[in-house]
Amino acid sequence: MKNYFFYPAFILLILISSCSRNPDTDLIPLFKPTPYTIQIPPGFPTILNIPSDNPMTVEGIELGRYLFYDGRMSGRLQEDSLMSCCTCHLQENSFECGINHPEFIGGHPHGITGIPTPHVMLPMINLVWNSSGYLWNGKISENNPDPAKRQLEDLTWMAIVAPHEMYSDTAKVTEIFKNIPGYTEMFRKAFGSEEVTTDRIGKAIAQFIRTLITADSKFDKYLRGEVQLNDSELNGFVLFTTEEGADCFHCHGGSGNPLFTTHLFYNNGKDSIFSDPNDRYSITGDPMNKGAYKATTLRNIEFTAPYMHDGRFATLDEVIEFYSHQLLWSPYIDPLMHHIAQGGVQLTIQEKQDLKAFLLTLSDTSFIHNPAFESPSDFPE
Amino acid sequence: MVSSLRKVQIVDGHCERSEGFHSLKGHKVDIYRTIIVVLLSVFIGTGCDNSNEPEEDNTWNLVFTFRHCIQGNPLAFDTLLYTNATGNTYLVSEIQYFISDVTLYKPDGSTFMIDDQKEIHYVDTDIQETRTWEVFEKIPAGYYDSVSFTFGISEEKNLSGMFVNPPESYMFWPESLGGGYHYMKLNGKWLEPGQTTVTTPFNCHLGIGQIYYSYPDSITDFIHNDFRVSLPGSDFTITKGQKTEITLTMSVDEWFTDPHDYDFNVWGSYTMQNQEAMQQLTENGHNVFSALIE
Repeated sequence: MKNYFFYPAFILLILISSCSRNPDTDLIPLFKPTPYTIQIPPGFPTILNIPSDNPMTVEGIELGRYLFYDGRMSGRLQEDSLMSCCTCHLQENSFECGINHPEFIGGHPHGITGIPTPHVMLPMINLVWNSSGYLWNGKISENNPDPAKRQLEDLTWMAIVAPHEMYSDTAKVTEIFKNIPGYTEMFRKAFGSEEVTTDRIGKAIAQFIRTLITADSKFDKYLRGEVQLNDSELNGFVLFTTEEGADCFHCHGGSGNPLFTTHLFYNNGKDSIFSDPNDRYSITGDPMNKGAYKATTLRNIEFTAPYMHDGRFATLDEVIEFYSHQLLWSPYIDPLMHHIAQGGVQLTIQEKQDLKAFLLTLSDTSFIHNPAFESPSDFPE
Repeated sequence: MVSSLRKVQIVDGHCERSEGFHSLKGHKVDIYRTIIVVLLSVFIGTGCDNSNEPEEDNTWNLVFTFRHCIQGNPLAFDTLLYTNATGNTYLVSEIQYFISDVTLYKPDGSTFMIDDQKEIHYVDTDIQETRTWEVFEKIPAGYYDSVSFTFGISEEKNLSGMFVNPPESYMFWPESLGGGYHYMKLNGKWLEPGQTTVTTPFNCHLGIGQIYYSYPDSITDFIHNDFRVSLPGSDFTITKGQKTEITLTMSVDEWFTDPHDYDFNVWGSYTMQNQEAMQQLTENGHNVFSALIE
């Protein structure tokens, strides 16, 4: 007699055994994270740079916020050896260290052992719309031959191990957080299990960073018809967006590109001799990229001195003076720098004041005081 | 296995047995068999894609590819190789532009316009994928004796804010200069008189021009510099089952001659607030493109 019961039982066995077992879920019910949707401000791009393997969730963002501010991210527990993202990325300075940082003199950050970073800081705002690579030279991008150095997520482990940042190792960091019950619970809520991995830490912090959206400056309100710019600001806006004026908009956007950057790379005439081993040329190998760096967003530029990749300018006045009269020619200068033959855009004193007035309308004070981005009041122990 | 699975119909997540199985009802053995088949159906069915569905008909497709040449040779970027009709030695770094309202003409005078807003096509010499444009719309089969298009974007379609995503959004044309988008950015460098190595940048940008009452502050009118490009000898046949490819070649040097010999020493480095310069480029632009049918 044939055992017909065997067949369905066998199939069921296959089906059940095809599911991977997770020790965590055997003990604790799976937690399904709450999807989080980015609210796209008017005129902003609708295409977001969110990897398919790291969807935004409320719990992931919250975990990311805690990790962003937790000094134990340095892989150390001693009070004098703590370091986290927030050591350099201060909300009050639009998540850059700023020229007024108490430790990093002149806004030049260094790592936990005192080794200076190769460049000063880049903006950490509106990065959910950046798809042209991270860092001043765009090294972290989809074109990087190393798959572990392609996404925003990857910058966390890189910061942990970099000698000029936390100078630690990822095993120490995960070991610390997997032994903090409050955190394992947060990992479970964010990712479905209590497992603490470098990958998950990077994903959570990246989720938090993608929420750092600033789009409520005076200029935004002007575009929405809520406020009026004064005459000086309006004249500065015209200067910003005209070739006869300061001609900033080709690289730094404007009303039609509210990111106020193209996220692309330009040699903007700062130097005539190039020796930086970390410029765009170091990534592309194209000689025309010598001395080229990412055009940063000008949003919140008021809070983010010093300026340029090496922080050579301490004030906006110095930057405007540079673009007005101090450009240096080289064979590699970007063709958009078409005022180079005159040494700059030749702004008058009044025009410089007006341009600065416009740049200050890009400051978003609600962003730098947004409680959603603040440090947690206390951390799991 | 596939044919047996097709006897089972899945409706709203539940399986209904097909007619072929009703006759087996009441037999224990066959109930088990049915369960097995149902389970296999769910198991396999949920793990498969829709590859069994008929493929979409991809015939009648039209593909444009874009090439950029000087004097018949592929453009060598960032290389100081070229001399225009006025004697300017120059190089080209990058070209970005829109073409739109592509129109296909039949011998009987009827036309087919690829006029969907999505079909304003952006070409960027720095972005390889923009240099191939697989037209979204299917093209009616038949013989066409020519192609034309708008270089840039026509006045009624050139609306500020219609592109929010890069790279098209990076082409915005400032509101104070007329708004909308650049039709073209042609960026390079040239040697000013007496110079042998020190190049000066030029930005031949086309878009909405301005008529000034008092330059540069008082604008009294705007000029829409978009223009139609006709491509004689661009006849082709759209055949079912075949993908028709049209290569559009921009002869970059033609921007600087015929009918106007464009002199960088006269017009300087930039054009956006210089309608006369843009008009020269516009009038030169009519014969910049040629077509090759493959």
